[in-house]
Amino acid sequence: MISRLETPQHLTTDRRAQRYNDIRELLPDPDHPTPLVRVNRVAAETDLYLKLEWLNPFGSIKDRAAAYLLDGLQTRGELDGRELVEASSGNTAIALAALAALIGTKLTVTIPDGVPEEKKVVLRMLGAEVWETPDDMCPVDHPKDGAIALARSLAASENGTRYVMPNQYENPDNVLAHYETTGPEIWRQTEGRVRAFFAGFGTCGTLTGVGRYLKEQDPTIKIVAIEPQQGHRLPGLKSFGEAKQPGNLDWSVIDDVVQVDDQPAYDMTKRLWREEGLMVGPSTGAIVHAATGYGLDPDEIAVGVSPDSGLKYTSFFAELLGEEGLPQA
Amino acid sequence: MTTQINVTETLDTSGVLCPLPVYKAALVLKRLEPGQVLELTCTDPGSLADIPAMARQRGDTLLKTDDRGATQVFWIEKGTT
Repeated sequence: MISRLETPQHLTTDRRAQRYNDIRELLPDPDHPTPLVRVNRVAAETDLYLKLEWLNPFGSIKDRAAAYLLDGLQTRGELDGRELVEASSGNTAIALAALAALIGTKLTVTIPDGVPEEKKVVLRMLGAEVWETPDDMCPVDHPKDGAIALARSLAASENGTRYVMPNQYENPDNVLAHYETTGPEIWRQTEGRVRAFFAGFGTCGTLTGVGRYLKEQDPTIKIVAIEPQQGHRLPGLKSFGEAKQPGNLDWSVIDDVVQVDDQPAYDMTKRLWREEGLMVGPSTGAIVHAATGYGLDPDEIAVGVSPDSGLKYTSFFAELLGEEGLPQA
Repeated sequence: MTTQINVTETLDTSGVLCPLPVYKAALVLKRLEPGQVLELTCTDPGSLADIPAMARQRGDTLLKTDDRGATQVFWIEKGTT
């Protein structure tokens, strides 16, 4: 009989039983991928699958990059005794804030205008300090890159002793995360039959990392980038008409760029909720809109990224819906 | 004859690179009342372009700029908007 005074034996992590001793063990890898789900109704003429990245432990595709960025900083000893500062439209910051809290480090995030309130509250709940950055704060530079400039400025302040900036836009660890996890996952999940991949311009870690991996498997796989209009309302996506191209963008793996306006992206987002039961964010709507209009061969498998869920955008959706769904007098 | 500027609050951003001085100045101006004045000290040469642009965009009045070479001092009166 075990004495009550003995230290209880903890259960060990068992992925088959979905039992974990630490939330970080839920981060995906090729043996434990995020789900790939077929889009059956809104993309009936294509064989399109969405990779549901919102089922990552901190709610978005950025969990992968954040884990690699933090791991790189720790490995190189760049984090020792310093806090994190990063520019993010929310998802990278959310993952970084959660991961940083787990190792006792604080995150300051510079966040651009137009990010929904829900994301800012989530960040503050995670203990991050949120510096909202007006679009026109930096009039002599790229206006939409004010958050990046502010994060750089903070990182350089106090002789660089207080903060370290992971810099998801330029840091190759962001690309590596997708080259080592997302790309191989898609290849395995489609049994090597993927013929086209769709993702949005943003930090370009996903496009470059997945694109590079898939092109190495088969150079004829088409990598398609989605770009929003200038002044868009699709958080996470970047229009290079108004924002600087990140160092992580490798044009050699991009075959095509599709421009998507806000309205069709939001219309498609609504359809994905109502016709597919996929409660996705607006960037997924943009990606699926681009894929469905691309003229894909119905016999060939295409994969689109679903970067995050729509639950962090309900204030945007309330505007979209107006009086829809409310009782009329 | 010089007009006396009644300074309400001072902010020294020496050693800090743009756009951090702009951001911090905007935070102070946000809590000031219309007509109150911020005396802002910067060392980033970019401030000579950024601070007047910020004041213009916010609807504040840049009362005076003193470019002392390594240091720039701005007196900004909060606008009514």
